[in-house]
Amino acid sequence: MDRETVEKVAKTARLALSEEELERYSRDLSEILDYFRILDESPEGDGVGVDPVEIADIMRDDVPGIFMDPYELLRDMKTYENYVRGPKLL
Amino acid sequence: MASLPKLNEKYSMFSCITDDLETKGFRFLFSAKDNLTSKDMETRCGSRILEGYRPVFDATAIDRMRKAGGKLIGKNSMDEFGFGTFSTNSAFGVPKNPFDPERSCGGSSGGSACAAALIDGHISLGVSTGGSICCPASFCGVYGIAPTYGRVSRYGLIDYGNSLDKIGLISSDPNKLTEFLPVISGKDPKDPTSCAQPEPGPKGRKIRSAAVPKEALESISKDVRSSFESSLETLKSMGVDVKLTEMPFLKYAMPAYYVLASSEASTNLARYVGMRYGRQDGDLTLKFDDYFASFRSEYFGDEAKRRILLGTYARMAGFRDRYYAKALKVRLHVISSYKKVFAGCDAVLTPTMPFAAPRFDEISKMAPVESYSADYLTVPPNLAGMPQLSVPCGYDGGGMPIGMQLVTDHWAEDPLLTFAADWESVFETRRPEVSP
Repeated sequence: MDRETVEKVAKTARLALSEEELERYSRDLSEILDYFRILDESPEGDGVGVDPVEIADIMRDDVPGIFMDPYELLRDMKTYENYVRGPKLL
Repeated sequence: MASLPKLNEKYSMFSCITDDLETKGFRFLFSAKDNLTSKDMETRCGSRILEGYRPVFDATAIDRMRKAGGKLIGKNSMDEFGFGTFSTNSAFGVPKNPFDPERSCGGSSGGSACAAALIDGHISLGVSTGGSICCPASFCGVYGIAPTYGRVSRYGLIDYGNSLDKIGLISSDPNKLTEFLPVISGKDPKDPTSCAQPEPGPKGRKIRSAAVPKEALESISKDVRSSFESSLETLKSMGVDVKLTEMPFLKYAMPAYYVLASSEASTNLARYVGMRYGRQDGDLTLKFDDYFASFRSEYFGDEAKRRILLGTYARMAGFRDRYYAKALKVRLHVISSYKKVFAGCDAVLTPTMPFAAPRFDEISKMAPVESYSADYLTVPPNLAGMPQLSVPCGYDGGGMPIGMQLVTDHWAEDPLLTFAADWESVFETRRPEVSP
C-alpha cells in the first residue's frame, strides 16, 4: 500500500499519523496485503458467512423502559447540564 | 490473596487487582480478561484510550460467575483490544510466562492463562477471536476452552470482531472447565447471538475418533512435532482412532480471518474518540475532526492503528468485494470443510501453536505478517465458530509447555470437556515453580 493510500485511509479512520508511521504502515500493510493475495485464488460460492452459526431473530415486546440509570451513565463523562461535552463542530 | 500483589509485580498477569481482599462467604475466586466489563474495577482492554473507564454494569459472564458464588479478584492483562498473539501489545503490563519470565504467555488472553498457571485451582474468563484462549493456554501449560460462537453471551464484552468473539475459560484443572462452562453459558436476551443455542447434549460423550489435517503439520517446530506424535500414541492407547486427513481450505482461513477481524475491529473502534468512555482529556477547542484524529492517534497503540488502517482499507469502495465479501465466502467453505470431517469422525486434532512460547527479544524482531502467521492453527476453528480446546501435551528441551488442540462440531462442547478430564489422568502436567 503506497504512502498516499495510507494517508487517505488514515484520514477516513480519523488517525493523524506521523511521517515515520506513514512510512512504516505503508511497508507493513503492503506485506499484509501481499499475504492476502491468496484469497484471489479461493473458490467462489453462493452464500456468505456473515455469522458462523445460524442466528435466530429475537424480538421483544415494544415496551418502553429504562434499563440503566442515565445519570449513572453520565457519571464518568465530561458533561455540561447533563449533555456530553465534545469538540466544536464549526 | 495477600500474596497476589507481590506475585503480580513479577508476572504482570493482572492489570487491576481488587482492593477488597476478603474472601469469606465466597465459593471460589476467579479473574477475567480486561475486555469484560466489571462494575467494581476499571475496564481498560489493555488500551490507554480506555484509562479511567469504570463500567456501570457487569458483563453477563462475570455476573453469572458472581451469582454462582465467585469473587472477582482481578482483571487480566491482555493485548490492546485483543490485537496480538503474545500479549506484548498491552499498555498496562506484559504478562510473563510462569515457566520462564523471559518468554511470552501468548495472547491475547495472556494474563488469564498466566493466572491459571500460577494460582492453584484458579479459573479465569478469557476471550477468543482468533484463538486467544487456546494460544495462551498452550504457552502456559494449562487447559483452555473457547466454546461455540454464541454459547456464552457477549453482553458486556468490549467488541473486537463481533462475528468471531467467543468467551471461554482457562484453568490448570480441566474439571473447572466442566464445572464453570455451564455457569457462564445459556441464552441471554441482551445478546441475540446467544439465543440460537440448543440445550447442551448428553453428558459424558467421548471422542472416539480424531482426524489430523496434513496441512496443520507443515510448519511446526521439531519439539512440537515430537510432543504431538507422542500424544497421538497416548490417544491410541486411550482408544481414540486417529487418522490423517486433508483440509485444503484451511489455507484460506488466515487471510479471511484477518480481513474480517480487522474490518469489524475498525468499525468497533470508531466509538473511541475521547468522549463518553475512558480518557476525555483532549483539547475541546479543536475542530471535531482534528480532536478525534489527534486523540485517537495519541492513545491507540501501534497494532491497534495498524488494524484500524487494514480494516478501513478492506471495507473501502472498490476493495470490499475483493477482501471483505470474499472472506465471508471463505468462512462458509471452512465451515463446510469441518462439517465434512465431522461426518466421519468426532474431532479435528492439531498442535495448538506451531512452537513453544517465544522469548520477548524474538517477538520484538517479528514482522506483523510473521506474528499473524503464528495463529494458523487456532484461527480456522474460530473463523468457523467451532468449539476448540487446548490441553497440555508435552514440554520442549527447555521445559516450556506445548499444547494440543481439539475441535468439535458446533455446540459439541461436552465431548471436549470429557476428553480434557480423561486426558488429565493419562498426561502428567507440570506446574511452574512459583517464586514471588
